[in-house]
Amino acid sequence: MWYIKKTNICSSYAERGNTVEVRISSQMSIMDKLKILGEAAKYDVSCSSSGSSRKNDGQGIGNTVAAGLCHSFASDGRCVSLLKILFTNECIYDCRYCANRCSNDVPRASFTPDEVCELTMEFYRRNYIEGLFLSSGILYSPNYTMELICETVHKLRMLHRFQGYIHIKAIPGADPLLIQRAGYLADRMSVNLEMATAEGLKEMAPNKHRKNILKPMRQIQNGITENKNELTLYKHAPHFCEAGQSTQMVIGALPESDYQIMSVAENLYEKFSLKRVYYSAFVNVNEDKALPALAGGPPLLREHRLYQADWLLRFYDFKVEELLTADRPNFNTAIDPKADWAVRHLEVFPVEINRADYRLLLRIPGVGVKSARRIISARRFGNLTFEDLKKIGVVLKRALYFITCNGRMMYPTKIEEEYIVRNLTYQNQMGRGEKLPFMSDGTIYQQMSLFPQEMRQMSG
Amino acid sequence: MEEKYLVCEDSLEGIFTGIYEAYALREGHEHVHLQVGEEDNYRLFAAYLHILPDAGKTGKVARTLLGQVGESAYHALCRAAASCYPDKGEAVYKTVVDAITAGSGRRVMENLRNPYVRRAFELARYTANEAHYETEFIRFQELDQGVLFSRIGPKNNVIPFIMPHFADRLCPEDFMIYDENHALFGVHPAKKEWYLVSAQGDFAPEALQWSSREEEFQELFKAFHETIGIKERENKRLQRQMCAYRYQDYMMEFQRK
Repeated sequence: MWYIKKTNICSSYAERGNTVEVRISSQMSIMDKLKILGEAAKYDVSCSSSGSSRKNDGQGIGNTVAAGLCHSFASDGRCVSLLKILFTNECIYDCRYCANRCSNDVPRASFTPDEVCELTMEFYRRNYIEGLFLSSGILYSPNYTMELICETVHKLRMLHRFQGYIHIKAIPGADPLLIQRAGYLADRMSVNLEMATAEGLKEMAPNKHRKNILKPMRQIQNGITENKNELTLYKHAPHFCEAGQSTQMVIGALPESDYQIMSVAENLYEKFSLKRVYYSAFVNVNEDKALPALAGGPPLLREHRLYQADWLLRFYDFKVEELLTADRPNFNTAIDPKADWAVRHLEVFPVEINRADYRLLLRIPGVGVKSARRIISARRFGNLTFEDLKKIGVVLKRALYFITCNGRMMYPTKIEEEYIVRNLTYQNQMGRGEKLPFMSDGTIYQQMSLFPQEMRQMSG
Repeated sequence: MEEKYLVCEDSLEGIFTGIYEAYALREGHEHVHLQVGEEDNYRLFAAYLHILPDAGKTGKVARTLLGQVGESAYHALCRAAASCYPDKGEAVYKTVVDAITAGSGRRVMENLRNPYVRRAFELARYTANEAHYETEFIRFQELDQGVLFSRIGPKNNVIPFIMPHFADRLCPEDFMIYDENHALFGVHPAKKEWYLVSAQGDFAPEALQWSSREEEFQELFKAFHETIGIKERENKRLQRQMCAYRYQDYMMEFQRK
């Protein structure tokens, strides 16, 4: 199934007698290595196992599910879907934001390909994970590192007949042949963009260049397109990155605006046909002087708004220009981007639920992809009422300002920007409105108290 | 007119036989009700008929439904019938009536204005969601003969819906899943078809012997699970929201020593 195209890489790992040069890790136990290299990989956001759907062929273990599966949740509430590790955290680069930069004094370790294979297979059998996410620090050179990654994954696919999900990082600067080889072994590949602007990248990661990041990205994109054509002609042709490619940007390390970040994301979706762009709230692991010390913790609310907008781009047919402009470059943190768009376009509302088309239904705050589809199919049987909408899953406390059912609004409300914003934010303040996944900003969730602090302490 | 209650067994077979009998009465469907399990509060002026599950009648109903409502709606009805709520019998029965007698046919699960269809839809969704969570959160332990064993405690009877997933994924493995709430085993011998066995007598999963390396891999994954969380973003509330305590109880990485 994972037939590998013959590549003419002469210094192949196998031809060197199947040994890897490992500098430190010989005496280290696999437990210590897993701790060090799991720790080193955790700031990579991508953990999805979605996008490829494959049945088991009866030769080994594993399959993949189109929607992906999350097998556990870590203490920060993020999912654990893949065994997310670095192959090695020995790195020749010195990126300011990275904990594994060469100037840092941190414990270093490297796996051997067999160790990675064993961990993946045994975890997978026990249903702990959905597959492997393999990234790496740059050991000696990009080519050397990429080759190690390829060899590991090759072993996993060919020797262990592993058919689960594999996500590989393409190392910027590696030989295109190696990237191509990796693409035939992996379900998804990614190259991290790291910073939204080329200048930002130069400042943060002096050894990385925007050009080197975009090159493999373009190569993978072309590979996927060619592979699609191949597959239409030959049904059993090998798959190249079936689940597409993704990337990641750090948020809040540099003073980029949301508008800049979202425009880059939109470009990546349109021009590089990416599956996902991830946003990672900056955590200052190195306490580097050139980087901001974020007193309130990582900018989680901003990251959340960016993800919301990202969903609007991908599933709700929004354009960045509709959400943000050069003179209004940042999202309103008090209400979500869709509600924010709606209150600024009140001329569209109220929308009649029983007549509006799918695209317009999606623009209503409180109506998502699922409820819009259910509305379309349920109204074939007759007119819908507010009670029906509630049962269908529409969030009426947000939607009620923007919709009519059979020509009537739910309550008499004013269709005024200020009035609606006040109501929506009031709900948020009382903890009854938008459900945020975190409590970064203590004030959002605090209940109003009529007693002074001392009295509460006395009674408590 | 007198209300009629058909009392049937709590199983797919029981419910389908009940539907067969309800149609066999030929009294319309307005005053006929399907009830799963025994009633402990009998109604006055109502007749209670006890129905025994019958494989032949179940087969007839299943074939008719597959033909009339199509595969996806049929599976939704099966999921609704596997629900833990006692009103599932009535919901499934009246949904079938909506599909076949009222004529919504293949579109029946879209007719969410009908309260029974809506209820069946909800029940089916609930079972499907729980089955999905179980496929994610099941933890297998390797026993000394290399058999993988897992213990779960779902509210709905989800084993029939999760076995196909694992039978495909772990095709060369011998594994079994034990549902302690419904006393049911799903068993998969390597490279063969899976089947269900109901648990007899007292089965104690604690008495099973682990293989020699099982504990090592459990410790490794626990360590990985602990390492992967970012301290600056700690959010136990979100963790609980994504993975409820009732699943965590069965997941080894959440068990404190």
